[in-house]
Amino acid sequence: MTITAAVLEELKAAVGSQYVSNAEEKLMVYSFDSTFQEHKPEVVVKPHTAKEVAAVVKIAAAHHVPLTARGAGTCLSGGPVALQGGILLEMTAFRRIVELNADEQYAVVEPGVITNTLIAEAAKQGLFYPPDPSSSGMSTLGGNVAECAGGGRGVKYGVTRDYVLALELVLADGEIVTVGNVVDGLTGWLDLPMLFTGSEGTLAIITKITVRLLPKPQAIKTALAQYDHLGDAAQTVSAIISAGIVPTTIEIMDQMTIAAVENFLQIGLDTTKEAFVLLEVDGELWEVEQQLEQIIAICRDNGAVKIEVAHTEAERTALWKARKSISGACGKINPTKIGEDIAVPPAAIPAMIQAVKEIARKYQLNMVVFGHAGDGNLHPNIMTDKRNAEEMERVEAAIGELFSNALALGGTLSGEHGIGFMKAPYVLQELGPAGYKAQKAVKDGLDPAGILNPGKIFIEQELE
Amino acid sequence: MEQSKIERWERELSKCIRCGTCRQFCPIHQVLDDESYTARGKLHIVDKFIHGDFLLTDGFVEMLSKCVMCKACTANCPSGVNTYQIFLEMREEIVKERGLSFTKQSIFRALHWRKFFDFGLTCGSLFQRLIFKPAADGHGQVARVPLPMAGFNQRRIIPNLPKKHLKKMVPLTAAAKGEQRYRVAFFTGCMLNYVYPQIGQDLIGVLNLHGVTVVTPKEQHCCGTPLFTSGETEIASDLIHRNLEAFGKLDVDYIITGCGSCGLAWKQEFPHVLGEDHPDYALAVELGKKTRDISEFLMMIGLNTEQMQPLPLKITYHDSCHLNRGQKINKQPRQVLQAIPASTYLEMEKADGCCGSGGSFNLKYYQLSRQINQQKTEHIAQTSADVVAVGCPACLMHIKDGLAQDGIAVETKHIVELLAESYGLHQQNREVQP
Repeated sequence: MTITAAVLEELKAAVGSQYVSNAEEKLMVYSFDSTFQEHKPEVVVKPHTAKEVAAVVKIAAAHHVPLTARGAGTCLSGGPVALQGGILLEMTAFRRIVELNADEQYAVVEPGVITNTLIAEAAKQGLFYPPDPSSSGMSTLGGNVAECAGGGRGVKYGVTRDYVLALELVLADGEIVTVGNVVDGLTGWLDLPMLFTGSEGTLAIITKITVRLLPKPQAIKTALAQYDHLGDAAQTVSAIISAGIVPTTIEIMDQMTIAAVENFLQIGLDTTKEAFVLLEVDGELWEVEQQLEQIIAICRDNGAVKIEVAHTEAERTALWKARKSISGACGKINPTKIGEDIAVPPAAIPAMIQAVKEIARKYQLNMVVFGHAGDGNLHPNIMTDKRNAEEMERVEAAIGELFSNALALGGTLSGEHGIGFMKAPYVLQELGPAGYKAQKAVKDGLDPAGILNPGKIFIEQELE
Repeated sequence: MEQSKIERWERELSKCIRCGTCRQFCPIHQVLDDESYTARGKLHIVDKFIHGDFLLTDGFVEMLSKCVMCKACTANCPSGVNTYQIFLEMREEIVKERGLSFTKQSIFRALHWRKFFDFGLTCGSLFQRLIFKPAADGHGQVARVPLPMAGFNQRRIIPNLPKKHLKKMVPLTAAAKGEQRYRVAFFTGCMLNYVYPQIGQDLIGVLNLHGVTVVTPKEQHCCGTPLFTSGETEIASDLIHRNLEAFGKLDVDYIITGCGSCGLAWKQEFPHVLGEDHPDYALAVELGKKTRDISEFLMMIGLNTEQMQPLPLKITYHDSCHLNRGQKINKQPRQVLQAIPASTYLEMEKADGCCGSGGSFNLKYYQLSRQINQQKTEHIAQTSADVVAVGCPACLMHIKDGLAQDGIAVETKHIVELLAESYGLHQQNREVQP
């Protein structure tokens, strides 16, 4: 136990006693995120202001208590799981949109604001916040920044870090600082906003975020291409990218995914097809029409046997329906769905998909592959049953092999879900000893006592 | 717990991928912003509980009872976890282990003995002036003293209790106007019988006008929803048995309800609560198939639009959880309302969001149920409608209270009230209400 009665009293004095709880039930429901990992914190603290956060950090620092920040708990890599107990800092009370500046196209938000809330509020002013992780209905922007969340529009619009202009942070010693600016987000100097984006709460606690907004695109066009061969679909993705076309979205679904969705929804999907590719372009009307034509031609040249184009919003929704229903559909194959997240160069997508299929065969697992293929981000999902210990061992082994394969193809461990502690053991493999040491030096410089989210990204590794 | 139940639950629980989608749909979580009240949070503890790794603590019981049973988490779960059923059965476990709270026990015993409950509520109407005083706007009343045990705080506006119950006001058989097309039985439910009998009269009148003969059996009881949703299935089963007996012997084409929760009980919950081994199970399934909500029934037989008179009103509609997510009835009420001549239909934002009533939930957690209601009244106000129509009297009471307390001048009416107005039934002779 690191939290003594005296620490508890200090915390209560800092944020108000109703916002400090160590009731067993409370610790249990805050012991997990959207992964299957769980670890109970010793106390859940809910601050309402940056000053309160600073006070809590100072208490943690004084008593060497681990501190883990949490937004909506929808992380897919164990980021907000209090691996070493200590304080869980619930940041959801920070839910104000402080400023939405339509003239200069930026927004200042608190970290507890729900992603979709910002997207909707920006849209009301004719503006556009592009990063849209699948969890955008419940995920917080603080969590999005901490994990550098991506989403379906990544091909054209990039990920969260491409939008962060400034951050207000509470550092490990309890100091409140602001890094970046609304003008250019701090270029020509150390890009500090970028350093903290994706740092998963290991370097500082985020208390305010300034993001860049874009003008809302005028038109959107959506098409769905069907393939008899998965390889052709993967080839199409590479071909579109190398032709210099930048669609908003390129989503790929393999046969098992299609079959699972059809079994779930019964909407008449052709389950004999090995792959579907969902494509979307946005921009000026003339521009999207031209791009769509080019894309359709590329799909045909690469073996698409059927191409549907949406002409109305209802048709667009219909084309998206299968993609949006994957999560629920997979639950029907086997109860437990373990969603992985890797990214490879787009040209390596055919090879990566092939590798996933081989790994599934080797470990006799049900695996579906889908993902934001346009930026090389694939989500191999393993359908298993967490009650089956023997199978879970095979799952672990398969995941390890998945990561090795991605790295071998010049890819990376995380497309958008973060490292957390689930992928931490593989970090050294990706960075190499020198790279790991450099990152560790940053961590040690900012958080020498190691109180911020310990056990994530930087775990003790055998350096060669 | 029985092994079979544990296995069934395990299978259901293992479907939860902890994605947290329930966070954005749970009305309690929206207000309290606490993972303790999300479905995934509760499921996690239920999982520990069934494996004996966690005991039934006060905190856990509180988490499970702070739920409006609105089915929003169930309907929106991408993995299709039947959270509603688990929480319902978990409440049964609580009752098995701990019994019911005293207030609930007293109310439920009274519900069980219909005549006693009748008597109690009749006395209530005679003595209500001692405890309650008329509300400022003349509609309904507020408590003179706080009655926290019964869920009445001093600001709360509850309707005047009528001196006579619906079942005493209407004939056993109300004959169809003109040629009889259908013969139906009317299950009034407690709210229409004891609190809003005039709505019950309107429902019968509207049906008669459609060539439907309406039988209103006197020996009907509470549907049992407040009981089995609190985990008390024993008394609930007895009430269900008596209702099945009363309606099973009737020669009718359909059973009609005007309450979202009663309808859901007849259609789905009766067989569920009784279980497949119960001797009444087959009858419950059979009568469930005959049950129709009033809007559903009117659209099915063809709504009489010829005799409608213009009602120049702006109307919006609130989806009752048990009508919409429970019975999947959401098109028909809108079709009925849109058919009223000279009226304008305005859709409100989040029409399917819970109003916060939750049946007996609002008695126990009145403040919380009002906080949930606040969003509803805001959305109603945004439409600039004159009237908010509902298909469930429990929602009606709660929304009426909310609008009055928030000072929003919008009327709350049951769909059949508006229909009765349009058909000119209110001008005809009818027993005048206090």
